[in-house]
Amino acid sequence: MDFSQAFNIAQLANALALASLLTILASGLALIFGLRDVMNFGHGALFMLGAYLGYTFSGLFNFWAALVIVPLLLALLGVLFEYAAIRPLQRRSHMDVALVTFGLALILSQVVIKVWGTAPLSVSAPPSLAGSLDLFGHAYPAYRIFLIAMGFGTCVLLAAWLKWTRSGMHVRAVSQQPMVARMMGVNTDRLSLLVVCLGTGFAGLAGVLAGPYLSVDPAMGASILISCLIVVVIGGLGSIGGAIAAAVVFGLIQVIGALISPTLAVMAPYMLLFIVLLWRPQGLGRGRVA
Amino acid sequence: MAVVPGVSGLSAVAPRAATSPRPSSAEGTARARGAGLLKPGIVVVVLIVLGLFVPSVLKSTFYLGLLVNAITLGIAALAIGFLAHQSGLMMFGAAAFTGSATYLFAIAVTQFGWNAMTAAAFTLVGATLLSALIGALVVRARPLPFAMLTLALAQMLRSLVMVTDFRPITGGDDGLALNFSGTFFGLTQAQLSTPEGFWPVAWLALCGVMLLAWAAGRSRTGSVLRAIRSNEERMRFSGFNTYLPRVLAFTLSGFIAAVSGLLTGLYTAFASPELLDFATGGNALVSTLVGGISTVAGPVLGALLYVVGQDQFGATGHLELLTGLGVVLVIVAFPEGIMGFIRNGIARLFKRGAHAVPNAPVKKGADHAAR
Repeated sequence: MDFSQAFNIAQLANALALASLLTILASGLALIFGLRDVMNFGHGALFMLGAYLGYTFSGLFNFWAALVIVPLLLALLGVLFEYAAIRPLQRRSHMDVALVTFGLALILSQVVIKVWGTAPLSVSAPPSLAGSLDLFGHAYPAYRIFLIAMGFGTCVLLAAWLKWTRSGMHVRAVSQQPMVARMMGVNTDRLSLLVVCLGTGFAGLAGVLAGPYLSVDPAMGASILISCLIVVVIGGLGSIGGAIAAAVVFGLIQVIGALISPTLAVMAPYMLLFIVLLWRPQGLGRGRVA
Repeated sequence: MAVVPGVSGLSAVAPRAATSPRPSSAEGTARARGAGLLKPGIVVVVLIVLGLFVPSVLKSTFYLGLLVNAITLGIAALAIGFLAHQSGLMMFGAAAFTGSATYLFAIAVTQFGWNAMTAAAFTLVGATLLSALIGALVVRARPLPFAMLTLALAQMLRSLVMVTDFRPITGGDDGLALNFSGTFFGLTQAQLSTPEGFWPVAWLALCGVMLLAWAAGRSRTGSVLRAIRSNEERMRFSGFNTYLPRVLAFTLSGFIAAVSGLLTGLYTAFASPELLDFATGGNALVSTLVGGISTVAGPVLGALLYVVGQDQFGATGHLELLTGLGVVLVIVAFPEGIMGFIRNGIARLFKRGAHAVPNAPVKKGADHAAR
């Protein structure tokens, strides 16, 4: 066990890279959950679709174009998702809606396989980010630095929106006290359309960003979904700040755990979930107690 | 605060479900209840006995094999449905309990060299103790964190059996192939591995756990549990212990899941990490919701439909696509599951209210499973 190696700056950066991907996904998931009480099991599939679309658009134009187009396309899909699935089912139980999203995820991933096939695809980082940077004496891939910047930039923007705008305030209000917020005249439906689009758009963004970092394959959605769900639950349901904090902790535990003991690393996230939920059932953040 | 568990969405079925299975039990005396149960009781016994002869009617090994699979899945689905109906807690990681039972059986056979009966008894006791322990920790959680906790448990166990250090015990990703000595109620391993030979075991186990779940739901603890589900705080203020009944329900649910896992172990004689996979628990969960949670027969019917559906969809080569479509359509179209739909249909037909025949669920399920 070499601790000096485990805690060097490159490993920390690796943890942050994973965390930033998780944050983007988890904040989308947390937003949708906060507003609609829907645990979106389709989030992994949306992420996967984003990655595949990112691959196609990177090939057609370039990476930067994909980074803009794909989230917009996924946001459009979010409109469909809101109108066709969430709104008609809003009076149904959590589990029913969760399972419907699960079914939709199965369908979506099969469509993706039909279109792009099952072979793993690789997306190369844009030329300007292809090299490596000097990070306190360590050569570190520039793309990962960009990934971290994007992840945390997105979070800062999201936090600013939630904190300082009227619609952001409404989102926070509905996430914490849905009934009261509705009674005070917040239009949940209109807000929900915005938030679901944002959530699915974020999944698309994460997908495009993941392209050069992970490999693009049909299993990528399912594997990240469980991590994301853990992050959201640890963070506190409906709490964005909690989700961000939990994603960072999750990334650190996973990357550092993998260096210390691979056995520990596979167990660590679940242990973390157990410990956090038994100690603080509402999660880390100031989410709703529900 | 003060979020009522019933609000968590299961409230849609709560009002009817809370009263329907036992309209008379509340006011009826024990004798009246016993007398009322006599006739349906005979019918149930007759159905159980008739069910034993299914292999002599259904000659196709393939379809009998499907039915056996439906029973194993149905018992797991019943475990989820029972807990969901009685406590409002949805177990996402049912695979943790079915899979760990299969593994316990496999380890007892391969590591300890125990014979089939001892290993089976050890499995049921061990898995029940395990679920009591886990239940004591997790039943306090609210429905969604609870779902995630059980899911995490399954994932954790799955990672655990794959760990290289435990490879000599768990077989890693190769799984464990079993060769058990002795007989299980007079049946050897070779006999158990055929659908015909295994049928009586599976059928009687199914009838046993259905009756158990049904009786538990009818018991006083069952009523207390459903009251806790609809308003935990009020029950606590009324002087009820709201924690122990839920642990009990969880343990019973874990036991039922363990029966399913044990059946898998006996029938396939193989334990693999896939048994602990999210997808395995997902199959049971989908079956539960397709069938509907408010009766003991619902999940079993759901499992039957699921297994048949998988077979049919698999033949087309678009298994997952059609499964996804099927899940979405059934859940959208049947809010209370297929069983709820059938019950409502019957109730409407006879205009006698949904609780017309207290024993209908058990009979129906037996009927469907036997077909």
